[in-house]
Amino acid sequence: MAFSAIRFVYLGWIDDHYIHPEFHFTYFGFSWVKPISAAGLYLLHLLMMLAAFGVALGRLYRISAIVLFLTFTYTELLDLTYYLNHYYFVSLICLWLIFIPETDSKNTLPAWCKWLIMFQLGVVYTFAGLAKINSDWLIEALPLRIWLPAHDDLPLIGKLLTFPETAYVFSWFGMIYDCTIVFFLLSNRTRPFAYITVIIFHILTGLLFQIGVFPLVMIGATLIFFSENWHQRFQHYITQIPLLGGLFVVLPSGETEPSQFRTSFILRIVLTAYVIFQVVFPWRYLLYPGNLFWTEEGYRFSWRVMLVEKAGDATFYVKDSQTGREGIVYNREFLNAHQEKQMAYQPDMILQFAHFLGKHYSQNGVSKPEVRAEVYVTMNARPAQLLIDPKVDLMKVQDNWSPKSWILPEKE
Amino acid sequence: MKSIKFLALLLVILSGIVACKKDSPDTYESDFNRAEMLVEYRDVFILPAFSNAELKSDRLLQSANNFTANPSSEQLILLQNAWFDAALSWQSACMYNFGPASEAGLTKSLQEEVATFPISISKLNNILSSGSWNLSDFNRDARGFYAIEFLIFDTLNSAETVLNRFQNPTTSNFLIALCTDLKNRISTTKSAWNTYSKEFVSNAGTDAGSSVSIMYNEFVKSYEALKNFKFGLPLGLRPGQTSVDPNLLEARFSHKSFQLAHEHFIALVKIYRGINENKSFKGYLKTVTGGEALVTSTEQQIAILLGQFDALDQNLDMQSRIQSSPQALIDIHTELQKNTKNFKSEMSSLLGIAITYASGDGD
Repeated sequence: MAFSAIRFVYLGWIDDHYIHPEFHFTYFGFSWVKPISAAGLYLLHLLMMLAAFGVALGRLYRISAIVLFLTFTYTELLDLTYYLNHYYFVSLICLWLIFIPETDSKNTLPAWCKWLIMFQLGVVYTFAGLAKINSDWLIEALPLRIWLPAHDDLPLIGKLLTFPETAYVFSWFGMIYDCTIVFFLLSNRTRPFAYITVIIFHILTGLLFQIGVFPLVMIGATLIFFSENWHQRFQHYITQIPLLGGLFVVLPSGETEPSQFRTSFILRIVLTAYVIFQVVFPWRYLLYPGNLFWTEEGYRFSWRVMLVEKAGDATFYVKDSQTGREGIVYNREFLNAHQEKQMAYQPDMILQFAHFLGKHYSQNGVSKPEVRAEVYVTMNARPAQLLIDPKVDLMKVQDNWSPKSWILPEKE
Repeated sequence: MKSIKFLALLLVILSGIVACKKDSPDTYESDFNRAEMLVEYRDVFILPAFSNAELKSDRLLQSANNFTANPSSEQLILLQNAWFDAALSWQSACMYNFGPASEAGLTKSLQEEVATFPISISKLNNILSSGSWNLSDFNRDARGFYAIEFLIFDTLNSAETVLNRFQNPTTSNFLIALCTDLKNRISTTKSAWNTYSKEFVSNAGTDAGSSVSIMYNEFVKSYEALKNFKFGLPLGLRPGQTSVDPNLLEARFSHKSFQLAHEHFIALVKIYRGINENKSFKGYLKTVTGGEALVTSTEQQIAILLGQFDALDQNLDMQSRIQSSPQALIDIHTELQKNTKNFKSEMSSLLGIAITYASGDGD
């Protein structure tokens, strides 16, 4: 496992996101998570960094793992704007790191640890692959037909990206890669080729898209599929190169002991529950009406990555219910560019912002504000259409798990 | 196993090509040259706009010198005209608020340094009574075009009132200082383009930090500033405002608000359309998936807006109009609002232009 020091990369800009904006979007059920002071946040990140090193080097392992999980997850929970599937992935892995036993002198580890992480990776890839099986992705090569030509200035392959054919090849290859890679990684015979494919795939997507550390996380994490022997050799070579040694610290993975697996009954129940949750939760969208990509009900925490090109323009109207006077909000007064962009096509965020506006303006001279929003969303290059009912007073709507009736159906 | 993978890959490529053939009527091979577009924008739009703004601000300074040397009502008219020409020229340069014009250290962006409105009358009166000023502090509402305007115009258009002000040498000195500062800031930015010019054209990607992204984002910002600050706020259209507020207008002492806003809008449309369409945002849009439909709806909206501007008296005094019958102006704001999605979310989505550095939609 090699994602520890990579976290460095996050540290540079993450703080800017949490300190300046006046308003933060929260996760459903986690609205009590609030940012602490600027200095506190920097301190927190320092702590996170130390904990990451602690975990990687095996110093104060348990405490480091707990601190790492808590600081990382706390930071992610601060603002929904920055939700990314790979942050969720990192959080989950950090959670399990807490419970993975420290290695003893014989350098052994129970087998479930390795299988759990392999299972998690399998879930990530397979759900990402299944989500790609839709007509826009496969028949229209959308959104890749939009995304690829924008990178025609890349050396060597740039020109190639302008052809629609390339988008088709990438779309189909991406789908098949995501659906099958785990199985190729599992088999001894195909593993080396599969891993080379992993590296090529993630480097390519890393070059093409603004996806941060995700490629590194995945290239590092998929190493877990290799055998213990291989890891010991790898570790041996890697520590000979001082700089790399610091970056890639491999999870100790000596002999696995099946006996330990049998010992804990509670562990087995927890693991089973976790596995069932991971397999079932991404399917919750089936319970909602309409096109998942349009409504985004049940979209997050389901490994749907880079699937659709969406952008919205949301205009909020705040009406004084006493005078009847209605004003138009300047979103950027309260949100940064990234928050505004993410909010403008995600109904739950639109609702949160509407409630914030209602509260803000009721404290600033507007009596019993009614808040409505005219939101035009374009999806996969189709002409923009209204996402939600512009007549609905959003102050009267509460967010919950039930289908949002104020979302307008997508017109063909 | 290896052969199976190869077979699978082959199958993918084949099915891809087949699928694409079926679909070809609406697919374009986007061979748009963004670097050429940047060269065009630099040479035909940006550099001439800054040159013109520099020229006009220099003439403004000369007129100010002439006027303070010989404060007559004839010289005042020349000075006021020079101010209007300079303010008008700025409407075609204000959207290039990046590169050499972006903020650096304690200096804010050029647009904020020279064109902040509304200005603070109390700050300016303090300066005039104390006789001391600092043009590099954070009081951007006490310098630039609209501070100069405050000194040389009278809302009731009385030359006598203005001439009386300049009986006091402090007023004259402050005017020269303001005009010199304005001219210097624009000149500095313009010369800095000599070095930035190459970088601007070579950074031809679409990622955050690329020239296309930076220029596009400032274009949108300028469009929203026109809508929000030149129309929305003075018209009292913000939540919490209970009436129109003519004091928030741009150029409220000269009563030139409408002309400047009109010029600003025309300048933005020109940028969108380009002189050579095939080297403009509009031409770029026409080469990408879904672009034709967006160009059509944008052009419809632009036509409505240009019609609205033209239908009004070109010497319209916005200050009195928003108090007597603001509806025509509110209508312009409404149509500007309707076009926002075309310029903002849809255009960036279709062109794949990054808005921020952070990773967005997926991972």
